[in-house]
Amino acid sequence: MNPPDKSAPSIPNLLSLRGSRGGARGGRSRGGSGAGTSRRTGQGHDAVIQGTDTDAAVSRLSAVDLGYLHDPCAQFFVQSPNGPPPRRLPIINRGTYTRTSGLDRLIDAFLSTLDAESPKQIVALGAGTDTRPFRIFSQQNCHGLIYHEIDFEVVCSKKLRIVKGVPLLSRVLSDASVVPPAEPEEASSSWTSQPSNGGLFYCHGLDLRKLPGNEGSLTLPGLRTDVPTLLLSECCLCYLSPQEANGVISFFTTQIPSLATIIYEPIRPNDPFGQVMVSNLAARHIRMPTLDVYKEAKDQVDRLSKAGFEVVKHMTVEDIWNSWVAQEEKERVDSLEGLDEVEEWQLLAAHYIIVWGYRGDGFSGLAEE
Amino acid sequence: MSDLDRAIAQLRSCRPIPESQVREICHKARELLIEEGNVVTVAAPVTICGDIHGQFHDLMELFRVGGDVPDTNYLFMGDFVDRGFYSLETFLLLLCLKVRYPDRMTLIRGNHESRQITTVYGFYDECIRKYGSANVWRYCCDVFDYLALGAIVLGASNTLSTGTEPVDEDTEIEVCDQSGTVMSRFPRPMPRPNSAEGPARSPNGGGGSGDRTGPPGSGASGASGGSIGNPTGAVLCVHGGLSPLIDTVDKIRLIDRKQEVPHEGAMCDLLWSDPDEIDGWGLSPRGAGFLFGADIVKIFNHRNDLSLIARAHQLVMEGFKEMFDASIVTVWSAPNYCYRCGNVAAVLELSEDESGTGLFARSNGDVGRSDGGRGVMMEGETFVRNGPARRYRVFQAAPQDSRGMPAKKPVADYFL
Repeated sequence: MNPPDKSAPSIPNLLSLRGSRGGARGGRSRGGSGAGTSRRTGQGHDAVIQGTDTDAAVSRLSAVDLGYLHDPCAQFFVQSPNGPPPRRLPIINRGTYTRTSGLDRLIDAFLSTLDAESPKQIVALGAGTDTRPFRIFSQQNCHGLIYHEIDFEVVCSKKLRIVKGVPLLSRVLSDASVVPPAEPEEASSSWTSQPSNGGLFYCHGLDLRKLPGNEGSLTLPGLRTDVPTLLLSECCLCYLSPQEANGVISFFTTQIPSLATIIYEPIRPNDPFGQVMVSNLAARHIRMPTLDVYKEAKDQVDRLSKAGFEVVKHMTVEDIWNSWVAQEEKERVDSLEGLDEVEEWQLLAAHYIIVWGYRGDGFSGLAEE
Repeated sequence: MSDLDRAIAQLRSCRPIPESQVREICHKARELLIEEGNVVTVAAPVTICGDIHGQFHDLMELFRVGGDVPDTNYLFMGDFVDRGFYSLETFLLLLCLKVRYPDRMTLIRGNHESRQITTVYGFYDECIRKYGSANVWRYCCDVFDYLALGAIVLGASNTLSTGTEPVDEDTEIEVCDQSGTVMSRFPRPMPRPNSAEGPARSPNGGGGSGDRTGPPGSGASGASGGSIGNPTGAVLCVHGGLSPLIDTVDKIRLIDRKQEVPHEGAMCDLLWSDPDEIDGWGLSPRGAGFLFGADIVKIFNHRNDLSLIARAHQLVMEGFKEMFDASIVTVWSAPNYCYRCGNVAAVLELSEDESGTGLFARSNGDVGRSDGGRGVMMEGETFVRNGPARRYRVFQAAPQDSRGMPAKKPVADYFL
């Protein structure tokens, strides 16, 4: 029995790498309350759900600040009047990284299927302050891309204000302007932009729950039904009732023949971790009604199959970390903070799934994933 | 009532004590700890506890389930701080109890008892929040450097002490719930002519034959074969596990421990390593320490006359997990870890060998006692030292209303 070589270079050195980040002691605290989560008056659950977007934006910025992700736009969507924004724990940072990387990979696969000029479309549901359109439209290969975001009016208005106020953002989503309302006396929170690198961007201020059953009467400005379209729900549909969530999906499946979807949300509410998750979220007044119906990976797969997607695949966040993150990248990410919470990571990451499916033409890139 | 007793009373109600008093207690604790060897010798009976991680109210639950100090002799295997909301109160209470009852309280170091780790995982921020400066954090970290690296439990009996219900002499493992009710019992297997591999079963050890599945936290039978009536081998307690640089307990005694946990080397490994279903040694996903397999544990235990290694460090959903034919056990004492994981916790009770032979028949690992690593493994034979009888008390998180959650609970617990 020979002891292994202790100086094996492949062992990332957790502690020494931690030392390089002495600035962490400067008073940035872990956790912290997202501003949105405490306002529960008036809009009730809607406001709580909008608060989850603040939560996600803070998590994104934490992962960016620590070097997990590269996203120069993330800083503009977090308001932190009292000093630096909170830093998340390593386990959350790794999760944010893995989720973002996994979704990016699938979206890139979709975008790379067709050449840059060919028309294609992304519809991001409950996009909130997501920075993905800035990242995508910063690239040169998006001339044919039409990108839609749909979220509450208040969220869309806020996003427009931020874009107009930050040169880095308005250079990417240039010429941002409010879409005139259908009725002249109404206020409009929807806006559009002609990105400087080409393509089109729409931000629709609209309660998603108005979509189901209104396929004939409700039109989203700029939405095309004749191009390959990717419908994206990043922790969004889970806040609706199962009927509403299905209705939102069928709003698009009934109109767009070539359609793919990617859904990211929690699963497994019934094991001990899942039970605590449901109860902890309930304590924050966050309910995920679809979680009761789509409990396991197979339920999510059935869901998309029944919605008409011919090919359906899924991976948990744990799977994505294990299979999609390359070894060198794992070592890079591990070296940022180290992760002592191995068992907890496995628990947490096994409770989030990305499920995706497609039908029709224009998805050969996705077929390879 | 002495100042110390007052401090203990105040901490028991989860209220921090003044900075000047923290300084004084840390100073006294250091004077005590500096006299301890790297490997502390502890006589059974003893109750062995795993990670606590600042879950103060769950520590109170642990004391309720396991008995109060000094009635119960406790051994805590580190990771007192970080993650939970009350690392400060948790660590200071344990430290005060150590100073007050030094012979009834053994504290060994976990990988979170470190300056660098506590700046990432919460203890540093908590000290700043509660005192407005890093002084208390510094006092505590200075104590961390003096904590022992391991402990050897001697004189553990191979029969259980009588609990709330009578126990058969051949009971090797008993699992109780938090009210002391026996959930399951497993008799000691009789020696078998060819027990080289030992029985395949081990409590909740995974991969068991599954024919004796008990309630959560229990499982099938233990496997430390041997006959009743023999004194048991010693039990090594360490936070993480073994090191490829350490083949005898004596080598642990030679480490210069009074320092920050190094990034690598024997001291780091003892606090960071994990057992795993592999052969030999492997790289740890934690980025520090190693993974080690059953062969490593069996050779180490045999060479050092150990019957069992008790360690903590890894969350196990059922509170404890015996592995490798019960040659190593993980004990985890933070229920619903991070207020999120949904796990139960456990403590391990080892009872006293009333015959007294255990203490004398066993060499306790003093310098010079080991065989220096001469060839102890006969080809194809695995000698398993008769293990101590083990009582696991499994308990759940303290009731929500007694936990005193901060008004503004951190909200980053999930990916939203």
